[in-house]
Amino acid sequence: MAVQTISLKEINPILSAYPKDRRYALAIMQDIQRRYNYIPREALETLADYIGIPLADLYSMATFYKALSLKPKGKHIIKVCDGTACHIRGSMNLVNSICRTLGIDQDGATEDGEFSLELVNCVGACALAPVMVIDEAYYGGVTQESLPKIFEAVRKGEAP
Amino acid sequence: MTVTIDGIPCACEAGEYLLDIAARNGVTIPSLCHHGGLPGQGCCRVCIVEVEQGGWKNIVAACIYPVERECAVFTKSERVIRQRGMVLSLLRAAAPESAEVARLCEVYDAPEYERFVKKPKERCILCGLCAKACQSLGTGAIVTVNRGVEKAVSTPYDEPSAVCAGCKSCAEVCPTGAVEVIEDGINRTIWGKSFPLKKCGGCGALTGTLAELERAADKAGAEIPALCNRCKQKSMSDVLASTYGW
Repeated sequence: MAVQTISLKEINPILSAYPKDRRYALAIMQDIQRRYNYIPREALETLADYIGIPLADLYSMATFYKALSLKPKGKHIIKVCDGTACHIRGSMNLVNSICRTLGIDQDGATEDGEFSLELVNCVGACALAPVMVIDEAYYGGVTQESLPKIFEAVRKGEAP
Repeated sequence: MTVTIDGIPCACEAGEYLLDIAARNGVTIPSLCHHGGLPGQGCCRVCIVEVEQGGWKNIVAACIYPVERECAVFTKSERVIRQRGMVLSLLRAAAPESAEVARLCEVYDAPEYERFVKKPKERCILCGLCAKACQSLGTGAIVTVNRGVEKAVSTPYDEPSAVCAGCKSCAEVCPTGAVEVIEDGINRTIWGKSFPLKKCGGCGALTGTLAELERAADKAGAEIPALCNRCKQKSMSDVLASTYGW
């Protein structure tokens, strides 16, 4: 995918919003995640220098929390529900269809950095199974045929 | 204050840990993740004992259980034997290649459960003692990464660490011999990185990696010692001997 060039200029304002203290590490990492959709290696290294703790400690935290990602994520994150109801209604087929339609693997992002896929457990809309969520918008009873249309709409910013 | 461990009255202070009291009084409680210099791990659960207090009996981890009031402790009760056997069986499945885990399983008669799938070629029980040692030395080269079934001990990005000095403290505290250290007399290889070793200027014995000696010397504000401890003692006693004409 088109690798976003990380300018350190963008990281510095995120860092300087917080005091140089270990307890702010997680909050800063969340901000970095929000800005880039993942935590670039350069950012993690800069953060380690800024707070003055080993890079390994931050790496441990970043790999522990699911909300933080060390791999690039797409602009739009597709969350496919794999709770019991969705699983029975074929969520794994849905995952395969999404991967095929977008040409990605389960933890990858599309070439253009638009989409990435995540498997989640129950989004609380079992009646609509199988469900996927893109940018907070719920799509129920998704079929392979309906996917290209949905993705096109999201790409154009026309999603509900 | 007195606690009774397996019927033996043991004098102790409030706040002392059961494992230490037992060791002082000659009662053996097995443990893996406990290290005197790095207390408070409490994750291997091999040191569990039964504590009777105020009519209640509880299973506790002896290494992190501070004695608050007088109580009776049982290290070989039926409940302890059963639960410790289960803990050891699980650890054996997690680290089937570890000799120490196998030895404890043998000694404490851990039952073999076929339903516990053994991890192939594994010696690590993921207690995190190595990472704690590294951190407490101020190096912080290795940490536990991921969580759940994917948890592992690793360097950042699985690459050779920029800060590791090859001191092998991690390997020395590891209770199951899981940290791989290869020494060929010239280099020490650990965590995917090779470190040149330094030899004693006198006897030629290996004194450690150049990187760790440099770091220690730097912290102490001194030169890297040219001799090993033995040779240093010898040369000092030689000086003493010649000074006093012995």
